[in-house]
Amino acid sequence: MALSVAELVGGREEVTSHGRLLVARREYQLHVRHGELPLRSALEAPPDVLKLLSRQPQPEPAPRRLLYLDTETTGLAGGTGTYAFLVGAGFFDGDRFVLAQYFMRDLDEEPALISAMAALLADFDGVVTYNGRGFDLPLLETRFVLSRRPWPQHLSHLDLLPPARRLWSSRLPDCRLGTIEARVLGLERVDDVPGALIPSLYFHYLRSRRAEALQPVFEHNRLDVLSLVTLTGWVARALADPEGLDLTPEEYVGLGRLWEGADEERGAQFYHEALRQGLPSPHRERLLLRLGRRAKREGRWPEALAFWNEAIASASGFDLRPWEEIAKYHEHWRRDLAAAHGVAARALALAEAEGAQEAAQASLAHRLSRLTRRSGLAIR
Amino acid sequence: MALKSLRELLDEFLTSLDTGSCITATRHFPSKPPRWAPFPSSLDPRLIDALKGRGVHQLYSHQHRAFELAEKGHHLVVVTPAASGKTLCFNLPTLQSLLQQGESRVLYLFPTKALAQDQLAELEELAKALPDLRMFTYDGDTPQDARRAVRARANLVLTNPDMLHSGILPHHTKWVNLFQNLRYVVIDELHAYRGVFGSHLANVLRRLKRICRHYGSTPQFIMASATIANPRELAERLTGESVEEIAESGAPTGDKLFLCYNPPVVNPELGIRAPYLGEAARFATRFLKEKIATIVFAQSRLATEVLLSTIKGAVRDKVGNSGIVRGYRGGYLPNRRREVERGLRSGDVLGVVSTNALELGIDIGHLDAAVLAGYPGTIASLWQQAGRAGRRSGESAALFVATSAPLDQFMVTHPDYLFGTPPERALINPENPFILVNHLKCAVFELPFVDGEPFGGVSVEPYLSQLETEGLFHHAGDRWHWTSETYPADHISLRTVTSDNFVVMDTTARDEKQAKRRQIIAEVDWKSAFAMIYPKAIYMVEGEPFEVQELHYREDEEKVAYVKRVQVDYFTDAISAKGVWILRRLADQASAGLLAEHGEVLVAEKVVGFKKIKFGTLENVGSGEVELPQQEIQTTAAWLAVAPALLARVSSSRDELVDGLRGLAYLLHHLAPIFLLCDVRDLGSWLGDQTPAGEGVVATYPGARARLLQAEQFNPTIYLYDSAPGGIGLAEGLFQILPALLARGLETLQACPCRWGCPSCVGPVNEIGRRAKAIATTLLRHLTA
Repeated sequence: MALSVAELVGGREEVTSHGRLLVARREYQLHVRHGELPLRSALEAPPDVLKLLSRQPQPEPAPRRLLYLDTETTGLAGGTGTYAFLVGAGFFDGDRFVLAQYFMRDLDEEPALISAMAALLADFDGVVTYNGRGFDLPLLETRFVLSRRPWPQHLSHLDLLPPARRLWSSRLPDCRLGTIEARVLGLERVDDVPGALIPSLYFHYLRSRRAEALQPVFEHNRLDVLSLVTLTGWVARALADPEGLDLTPEEYVGLGRLWEGADEERGAQFYHEALRQGLPSPHRERLLLRLGRRAKREGRWPEALAFWNEAIASASGFDLRPWEEIAKYHEHWRRDLAAAHGVAARALALAEAEGAQEAAQASLAHRLSRLTRRSGLAIR
Repeated sequence: MALKSLRELLDEFLTSLDTGSCITATRHFPSKPPRWAPFPSSLDPRLIDALKGRGVHQLYSHQHRAFELAEKGHHLVVVTPAASGKTLCFNLPTLQSLLQQGESRVLYLFPTKALAQDQLAELEELAKALPDLRMFTYDGDTPQDARRAVRARANLVLTNPDMLHSGILPHHTKWVNLFQNLRYVVIDELHAYRGVFGSHLANVLRRLKRICRHYGSTPQFIMASATIANPRELAERLTGESVEEIAESGAPTGDKLFLCYNPPVVNPELGIRAPYLGEAARFATRFLKEKIATIVFAQSRLATEVLLSTIKGAVRDKVGNSGIVRGYRGGYLPNRRREVERGLRSGDVLGVVSTNALELGIDIGHLDAAVLAGYPGTIASLWQQAGRAGRRSGESAALFVATSAPLDQFMVTHPDYLFGTPPERALINPENPFILVNHLKCAVFELPFVDGEPFGGVSVEPYLSQLETEGLFHHAGDRWHWTSETYPADHISLRTVTSDNFVVMDTTARDEKQAKRRQIIAEVDWKSAFAMIYPKAIYMVEGEPFEVQELHYREDEEKVAYVKRVQVDYFTDAISAKGVWILRRLADQASAGLLAEHGEVLVAEKVVGFKKIKFGTLENVGSGEVELPQQEIQTTAAWLAVAPALLARVSSSRDELVDGLRGLAYLLHHLAPIFLLCDVRDLGSWLGDQTPAGEGVVATYPGARARLLQAEQFNPTIYLYDSAPGGIGLAEGLFQILPALLARGLETLQACPCRWGCPSCVGPVNEIGRRAKAIATTLLRHLTA
């Protein structure tokens, strides 16, 4: 005798105003670790960090008012023909973390699932997702509209994908949640079902009514939600005070990028930490140029010059950009054509010696001849 | 010297020795005065003011009637000639609803993006003085970042069926405002929706109506069509609603003369007539030299370019400027086309050579003369093309120059048929299983399908179960749900033309040191690409020759043809290899000597080389080979195999028999449109054998011929197939009228004055051999006995 879904995943039927569906609930103690960090770490996120991550002007959500959300769907095609058949939703409740998985045993249970989601979302101030902006939330919104329900407008949204990209795109082969679990959170999934297979597993279940293959799908979804929690904990701690996290220089750059704009000073601190920790080329030059441009914008010329000179020293090959910045500084700011000419001439000589790209050499030659013309200097 | 008037020039054509005897018919269509009507009393005063501001102080009777009917809640179709002011017939009711009911929404559908742009410009002129009109086009050209704003803001959306099908309906939750409040759906150029395209549109509209029902709106349809035999029937089949027809135009028309011209026979033995393109160019040049605004319609893109370069050469002024004549066809970039349209309206451009792209209602102002180089395929197109010349007052002329194809020759020698036959019925078959099933997939994707829910006229239950078996649908509760990861609309093109276009990039400047700028000069759709822009092909844009250097067509590549401007005196014509193989037999009819069958076939085509043909003399001046992939379609066909015993009785030479059968295939293919009311190009023909589909290899005609001659078993088979993938029912129709078609074929052969065969019967003798006509005649005599 085959087991039912309810038996396999430990769920039970719940009744909504729009019919029944299956809900599997689990509770976790707050000290339970998921990877190296405990679930509790997400509760320690300071308000200013949550505000930064939700990128919204409104008051930042309290950690206990956030719903951690992940959907399993019948595809990635978009449009109105893709269902979210399993929605995992986690939240902190007293001294427990509750993870509820809402499941459609057949496609006609969608009204019940949407009804349950609407009730749940009404209880929270914000949602935490991974790529929710691009995927989960538009999809859920479509399902709400199809069921003729308004999508709740009060929710703030912490999508962890953009910060993850800032932190890891230069270091990791990709920014999939699984990759980040393995390389950052210290979590290895065993026998995890590949996401691409999930729609066909569900379709198979719909036709055969054999539920065995769904068990790993529930497990996959559960782990995704738990990872949202500890990833929030990790990112919040890194942004607030990364002491003890043993970060790479690239991660410091990412943290700087995240703070920049919201809190220049903290951004600058992280950038300097990245440089201090020996950020390698070419990220190093890229950062130095970035810092140089900012110093220039703010009229801090000596600093800007220092960044550009350091960029020149750090580059392994010839890099046109800092040379151009320095030449422009002399020409336009100090109006010292002779100095500008000297810089351009030195740069061109170096470019030729290092066999730099033709375009770079041509650009320098052009600059040099213009400076020569303007200053009346002869080419030496 | 004073310029001649149109009338003087036509008199000259009719009376000169040179042309007079070749004019087989003239018809005079007298002028007609306007019939006016006042502004309807319920018309919003703001709208009346806006109209007065544009110089409109009263309406034509049909515009008034359209407003009345729309106001009473009827669906309606307006069938009036070009330039009769039909756009006001739909603009008045739609703008009225937007002015008076703030929430209401309107959707306009046009067959092309260009027409939507054109109409938007016209609407904006009218709307300048009106409040709260937010009109936008929404199509493939709308930038991604602007789409959200259009969805949120627009109360009048102009789009095309393709975008509705793949971009709007599958995302209807983003268009809630539109679908909740949809008041009118306007469908312009209704006659364009025949055949495959119309059958698709009917299903797209079924989907649209489902979505409207879901959101609680029931829009009214207002349609406009050029003259066809059955506008009301077409409108009703497309929308599934009962529709009122307004056929009487209150707009005035000027005097018009229509001439039919059959180029003179220059070689009676071979039945060769003077090349029709040269003759058409000659007439066009005469018109243009008298400063008479002229449009020339060509039947293919290549013919457009050949005509254009000939006419340009003839009208070039002393400084070599021939800019008064421009080309216009699909494939030209939108900017170039807009420029030509503007030039025509302003009068800077005096003449234009176009494919049927200008048949549709793009505003190009008024022209005096239309030259139709070749029969456009249908009577309806003939009138639309002829109608491009004509003013509301004053004279105009249309001149039809026949090619030597059997259909053209039939028409030019039977002017009573040409002028007396009502235009074709626009046929659609929304129940075509291939098309219907595809849209059923889209419908279920958009919204679960309730048991017993109607979708057009037929019961779709069997299809639903079938699609469940295929794993695409799943039944739960009382509904069918979509259970596939795919987005079905992406795989369904509403036209035979796919959306995968090639761009043609001019690299002429690349070698010269300066400008590295590469310029896109044209676009070519996937289906035509291999026959037009193969490496070394001469691709012409407005009569300027470019040579294709490279063609990038592989799946992982950007689809680009790199071309370079060249100075050559030839153009190129592709040589293709082909094959047709039977996949499934559906029906057969055997008679003494003939087995005819109907079923599904695989048609494969491959461009293998090209001929170089000199401008002017059209002589063959070289050739080349190309290596390109094979293109395949599955479609429906009728095929004929003459019994071996009869073949043996007719001739003992396989050579002769193959020629005769090929001539017969040519004849039947070119005559079939008279019975099927379709375009010659809607059908294909081929003389092949009965090799199983899996073993077949494409061959050029000489190759296929050699194969037949050497075959162990001699079973030549004439295939006549539907050019549209999946077929639109032409092959089945052909199968049914076969006896009549064979009889008409015999009549045509017996009446044709040529000796051995000519393009007007079995095909040119130099291609078909001297015995083909006799063999084909004998075969038909036996088969129709």
